[in-house]
Amino acid sequence: MNILLALLIIFSNPSDKIKIKEPWMRISAKGQTTGLYFKIENYSDKPDTLYKVEFEPAGKVEIHETYDAGNDMMGMREVKFIVVPAKSTFELKPGAHHVMLMKLKTDITRDYQGEVSLYFKQAGKIDIKAEAKEMTKKKTMEHKH
Amino acid sequence: MKKHTKIFWITALVFFITICSGCDKRFPLEQDIFRTQNTFLNQDSIQVDFPEIIKDKITLFTMIYTHCPDICPMTTHNMNLVEQRLPDNLKDKVRFVVISFDPDRDTPSVFKKYAEIRDLSFNTWSFLSGDEKNTNEVMLKFNITAIPADSTYDDDGTLSYNVIHTDRISLIDQNGKLRANYKGSTADLNMLIEDIKYLAD
Repeated sequence: MNILLALLIIFSNPSDKIKIKEPWMRISAKGQTTGLYFKIENYSDKPDTLYKVEFEPAGKVEIHETYDAGNDMMGMREVKFIVVPAKSTFELKPGAHHVMLMKLKTDITRDYQGEVSLYFKQAGKIDIKAEAKEMTKKKTMEHKH
Repeated sequence: MKKHTKIFWITALVFFITICSGCDKRFPLEQDIFRTQNTFLNQDSIQVDFPEIIKDKITLFTMIYTHCPDICPMTTHNMNLVEQRLPDNLKDKVRFVVISFDPDRDTPSVFKKYAEIRDLSFNTWSFLSGDEKNTNEVMLKFNITAIPADSTYDDDGTLSYNVIHTDRISLIDQNGKLRANYKGSTADLNMLIEDIKYLAD
């Protein structure tokens, strides 16, 4: 029994503990900036941390949060990482946390499929495809490893 | 005692009249914005005067910057949804004006691309950028604030910054009066459309 458990731990993929749901990015033009959004579902008993995002067609990528600056004003600031507590879901969504894709090297038109790499401290690298749209979420897209 | 009762009823009457005088007042504002004009370049680099270009039209107006990945596209999208949901008889009566508070980066060609990628028609939409003086005067007129923040120089030497800014869509009537302001990124679109219909009637 113990041997079986040990084998399960050895061969289990750590990224199975993290699922990325409903990834999408907002349409935008070459040279401009856009936002990437998705849900992080952490099925693990441990918290995990998103600390880096790569998107080749962007000259610069940062994790940001939008915040209410008072007096009908909105601001945005960089956050170095996002901690997703154990057995919980964290949503990056418009008006809140998002991945900022800057200095775009290509147009992000409707139905463009962007290949993005997410880096977690526990789960490691997770590759996803994010569809481009203006705003509304249409369908869930599973991640690939 | 009788005197006190009389004062009470007079006060109540004045209060009642004051309240009721505002009962049919749908809009909180009635600010004439046509007293001064400002000069901008539109998305085709043609010089135009604002608000002259929206004369006799009901207008949704906002100020944004195209490097904003989140709030400003949401505001633009909300205005786009309003246009799509307008009844056919109102479509030609309504205009959409977007002015940049970051004109150094939002040149006419940048603004044009921003609009084209969203399939926005320049028959009804105008994207304006201007010099600092004209931009600031419009911001003052509409009580809009924009503060650059988080400035950094990237590896390629370009200056990168965000802007903390007012999140707003303004409704201007066909007589050139600012009538209402709405939170731009989270506006109640049904309310906006009903307010436009009310102005058009």
